Amino acid sequence: MTVEHPALALRGLAKRFDGTIAVAGVDLDVPAGSFYGLLGPNGAGKTTTLSMAVGLLRPDAGSAWVLGHDVWQDPLTAKRLLGVMPDGVRLFDRLTGAELLAYHGLLRGMDPAVVDQRAAELLDVLALGDAGRTLVVDYSAGMKKKIGLACALLHGPRLLVLDEPFEAVDPVSAALIRDILTRYAAGGGTVVFSSHVMEVVERLCSHVAILAGGTIKRVGTLSEVRGERSLEQVFVEVVGGRTATGEELSWLSR
Amino acid sequence: MALPVSAAAPAAPQRPVSARHFVRLKLRVMGNNFRGQGWRIALFIGGALVGLWFAASGFFLFAAPGLTGDGRYAVLVAAAGGGLLVLGWLLLPLVFFGVDETLDPARFALLPLSRRTLVTGLFAAALVSVPVLAVLVASFGLVLTAWGLGGWSAGLVAVVGVAGGLLLCVAASRAVTSAFATMLRSRRVRDLAAVLLAVTAALLGPLQVFGLAALREADWTRLTGVATVIGWTPFGAPWTAGIDVAQGRVWTAPVKLLITAAAIGALLVWWSRSLESAMVGAVSAGRAPARRGVTGGAVGQLFPRLAGWARRDRFGALVAREARYWWRDARRRANLITIAVVGIFVPVMINLGGAGFAVEDERGLTTGAGDSSPVLVTLSMLFVGVLASVTLANQFGFDGSAYAANVVAGVPGRVELRARMTAFSLYVLPMLAIVAVVLSVVLGRPGWIGLTAGSLAATYGAGLAVNSFVSVLGAYSLPETSNPFAMNSGAGIAKGLLTLLSMITSAVVAVPMVVAAALLGDAWLWLALPVGVAYGLGAALLGAYLAGDVLDRRQPELLATVTPRR
Repeated sequence: MTVEHPALALRGLAKRFDGTIAVAGVDLDVPAGSFYGLLGPNGAGKTTTLSMAVGLLRPDAGSAWVLGHDVWQDPLTAKRLLGVMPDGVRLFDRLTGAELLAYHGLLRGMDPAVVDQRAAELLDVLALGDAGRTLVVDYSAGMKKKIGLACALLHGPRLLVLDEPFEAVDPVSAALIRDILTRYAAGGGTVVFSSHVMEVVERLCSHVAILAGGTIKRVGTLSEVRGERSLEQVFVEVVGGRTATGEELSWLSR
Repeated sequence: MALPVSAAAPAAPQRPVSARHFVRLKLRVMGNNFRGQGWRIALFIGGALVGLWFAASGFFLFAAPGLTGDGRYAVLVAAAGGGLLVLGWLLLPLVFFGVDETLDPARFALLPLSRRTLVTGLFAAALVSVPVLAVLVASFGLVLTAWGLGGWSAGLVAVVGVAGGLLLCVAASRAVTSAFATMLRSRRVRDLAAVLLAVTAALLGPLQVFGLAALREADWTRLTGVATVIGWTPFGAPWTAGIDVAQGRVWTAPVKLLITAAAIGALLVWWSRSLESAMVGAVSAGRAPARRGVTGGAVGQLFPRLAGWARRDRFGALVAREARYWWRDARRRANLITIAVVGIFVPVMINLGGAGFAVEDERGLTTGAGDSSPVLVTLSMLFVGVLASVTLANQFGFDGSAYAANVVAGVPGRVELRARMTAFSLYVLPMLAIVAVVLSVVLGRPGWIGLTAGSLAATYGAGLAVNSFVSVLGAYSLPETSNPFAMNSGAGIAKGLLTLLSMITSAVVAVPMVVAAALLGDAWLWLALPVGVAYGLGAALLGAYLAGDVLDRRQPELLATVTPRR
């Protein structure tokens, strides 16, 4: 494996749904070993971009490479290096946490003994061991995120792609997830995640890209993008949102 | 900072919500579903045409007594035809089609609507559908009959009766599916639900035998007597009221209309009860009871005893997960129960229909199978095999967006399809074996076990092959509700057509077994089992091989089609 390849490279990815353009040509280079935050408002095309990058959604145009392997030409090799946690996608949630992990492990062609050992460790660290025989469908939102992360980590991928890993997660679980991700990145792994929580991105990421209206508006290392200001100020300016309300909602404070 | 408005009592609604709003909402949702989807519109029109064709034939059947001016069989036609209509509305959604949940009750849970408003609204919305329109057209034949036989007053009563009958049909189908959904959702009473379905189907058997016997004897007066009795039950009351007036029994009409109204009311009350639990229960649907303590590693837990033999690899994991899902997912479990019930009773009914008369003719039970033949047995087995395998026609739809896990892991299509077939067969093959044995024993021909089992294996295998293709190419998303009978609007017609197509194709692929049964005579009784098993196994493996290739090429597209739109 040469280090020259970026962990994830996107070129001209585009997708339109029923006439509306969701993603209009995204180019992105994620350096290996980086902690990459993909920022954007709701509906910016974050999920669509990441889905096309990992092989879940076929792009209308463009291509994606994982460590130099084309996701759409050579999917098997690329997917082997990938760990994915999609958002808004169900897990096979009629399994218990342990069963789900075993399923993902075996699906990845792992040795059963290794699966058993890693699953036990992951469940323990993520504090999911107490759930015992509870089905994932009965988990809380935070627990579902954690088991999803465990599924993505189980086979030791080189690149981790996470869609909204901190959405609907309580502070305790969020801290735990942050901890695990930091350790993973420190060990040489690459993390790409989407979010609209500025604090988390500022604290974790080495690189940031701001996506709005289906195109990349700002990209670079955190300090390049942020400059002298806070990330939130840059974000609001780039996205062009309004911050103050005028007379319209007067009935709210009647 | 509390807003002052929260302390004040909410103002009374300016405009009360009425059924009209629900109907308009449903029309809007249906319309939006069509937007930009040409094939959906085409399917809808196709379904509407099929419905119209059935409606027209029903219309002429109902109108026949009136058109010919022959009133003798008017009550018979009205009671029997109308009764069958109600029965169909009652049972078909459970067995085959599901109910259209365009307006999912759970979505109204947060709105300040009284239960009464909600039930009448949803009921009115349920009336807006192609099947209702078809029944309306067909039952207008009754109005024509009543008017032709008894003038305008009878016709007027018939109009009221038919309208009541239509309401009864819709109310019955809604109440029953909703109640069943509630039962199946709770894991504790799921076995009770299975028993209830079985009993219902079991009641059909004797009724059919009785009906056939009556037909055979052609004792029309006796049949008319039965029809008169049916006319006094909610099944026949709405349909016969107009005929009664036409034939001079004016006093019965108000009583029968009252029976109808009472039945509708009772059904709506029943529905509103289960509706409430559907609305509230959707959140904590089927919380698992505390299970046994954790034993063994994660891998050991994944594999149920049923799939314990499988190797601990990718194929094994897929089989184990599917096997777990066929039991844990209410939607899939409902399908398994249907196969079990219909699979046993339909062939027994078909083949024993003849035996029933033999007994009546006092020829004794042993000659009862005289009416059945290897060809008839093979045909009924064909039906069961096709019915069992068609359950897999939308196997990826059951998974929904969870299928993404398999796409991300890059599971080869062939392994995927073979594993799914294997897991499903773990449940179905024992059932089919029981069907084969039971049927040959009931027929009094134990020597035919090879014939029944062989035909079943062949058609089931052929069906698996056909449905591999259908499931990859014709998948559609199922709504993410806890009602196992729920269907997306628009998908209802698509599902019906696809199911029909796949059943016909499977049957055609299995036809060689019927031909062999007809041509080869007694030798076939012994050859059928090995030939049938080989044929079925070969077809299934070939199907998985070829369809797996297709699946490899369109995994992301398949994922997109089975992901529910939100």
